[in-house]
Amino acid sequence: MKGPPYIVVDRVCKSFGAHPVLCDVSTQFCTGEVSVIIGASGSGKSTLLRAINRLEPHDSGSITIGGVPVGPHEATLQRQRIDVGMVFQQFNLFGHMTVLDNLTLAPRRIHGTARSQANAQAMALLQRVGLQEHAAKYPWQLSGGQQQRVAIARALAMQPKVMLFDEPTSALDPEMVQEVLDVMRELAHAGMTMVVVTHEMGFAREVADRVLFFDQGRITHEAAPAEFFDQPANARIRAFIGRLSQ
Amino acid sequence: MPITLWPAHWTRLQRSNATLVSALLLLVLVMATLGWLFSWLPEPIASSAQTFAEGARTTLWLTLVSGAVGLVLGTATALARTARWTLPRWIARFYLWVIRGTPLLVQILFVYFALPMLVPGLRLPEFWAAVLALGLNAGAYNSEAIRAGLLAVPQGQTEAARALGLSRRHVFLDVVMPQAFKMALPPLVSNFVALLKDSSLAYAIGVVELTNVGNRLQSETFQPIATLSTVALTYLVLTTLVTQATQAIEYRFDIEGRAQ
Repeated sequence: MKGPPYIVVDRVCKSFGAHPVLCDVSTQFCTGEVSVIIGASGSGKSTLLRAINRLEPHDSGSITIGGVPVGPHEATLQRQRIDVGMVFQQFNLFGHMTVLDNLTLAPRRIHGTARSQANAQAMALLQRVGLQEHAAKYPWQLSGGQQQRVAIARALAMQPKVMLFDEPTSALDPEMVQEVLDVMRELAHAGMTMVVVTHEMGFAREVADRVLFFDQGRITHEAAPAEFFDQPANARIRAFIGRLSQ
Repeated sequence: MPITLWPAHWTRLQRSNATLVSALLLLVLVMATLGWLFSWLPEPIASSAQTFAEGARTTLWLTLVSGAVGLVLGTATALARTARWTLPRWIARFYLWVIRGTPLLVQILFVYFALPMLVPGLRLPEFWAAVLALGLNAGAYNSEAIRAGLLAVPQGQTEAARALGLSRRHVFLDVVMPQAFKMALPPLVSNFVALLKDSSLAYAIGVVELTNVGNRLQSETFQPIATLSTVALTYLVLTTLVTQATQAIEYRFDIEGRAQ
């Protein structure tokens, strides 16, 4: 199921002022692969994700998506962002638009898709995340879990080649976490390339092809989930897993 | 207020449209029949009814034109102040600094008397000199209302839109501006109502607007109570009609149903 490398991160560094958040990070994400990134907050996991689609420009090193470097060139960047869907911790749905309009905005503006066709595609996606009867509602009328499922559908509307998830369940009430994870699980089984920053150990163990551990701006360990969780490589990882699973 | 007059089963948009249309119709109707309405008032108003009506129409026209100028200028200035480049930011800051720091009356006098000397050939008629000064003034205050709206749109909205691959233009027009405008609307309405009243300062350069008409009649007839009360009442009618229309616009943007 694992294909060729799609996103290649090579010796990437990034600091906020004097504070380094990414130090010499190198890794690659292959087509069809589900990678889960875990680590303490402030360890640089989210920053790496945000550097991939340049919401946070990196200082040095290189990131390539399908062989094309991620850089400041606006038109190239827009094309790359179309291929890279992103889901945020805070959902970030457009509050002044209905659920349906949230999904159709990008296809209509970027591909010039006709409204009727965009609506039909959006309804199919809403069906996929189980929210077809909420199409005419506004985001504030939905629960957190529903909003996050809409956000996933919105990202899917551009038919991305890879999906980045930045702590997608961290802002949710416990009873809503599962419905979002279910959608992500279904997506993984359908073969989507995914990079997921999460604290959901169960999801990582079950769905991930590999787990990356971030510590102080570096990837300090990487392993298949069974090995990662059952034979922790060092005391720090053991302590981290212990804290999360209690 | 009249929003609640409409049938309960109407949608928010229908009620907003109905309110907007009826407020504008009422405004046009009142303006058209103002001369006739004034003629029912006791002397000395009745005999000057047409002059009063003409003054009120000039006031409204002055406000609408300079309000439009102020809205365009305010949007441009707010954009310049939030721009990535330094030069537009500094130009906008300078404009704001000068306009907010000097009295409107001085600005009106300056545009009418001093500008033609500084720029030969730019001798504006009274009305257009007033429009320029009032527009510049309203633009400065509007820009801060719009900037407040722009800054209040969460960063996450821009990020989500950018992450979808939308261009900067579409991020701004489809995602940021509609939400910023909604938040800027109440202070913009305040500015517009203030402008309607501040247009009375145009009488200093001889624009024959409502205050000017009232003041002339007052000094001719020695009846300040009747004349000035009529002036005040007419302003009150105008501001009431204008705020009815703007409330309808606010209601249109109120998707969360918070305005009741």
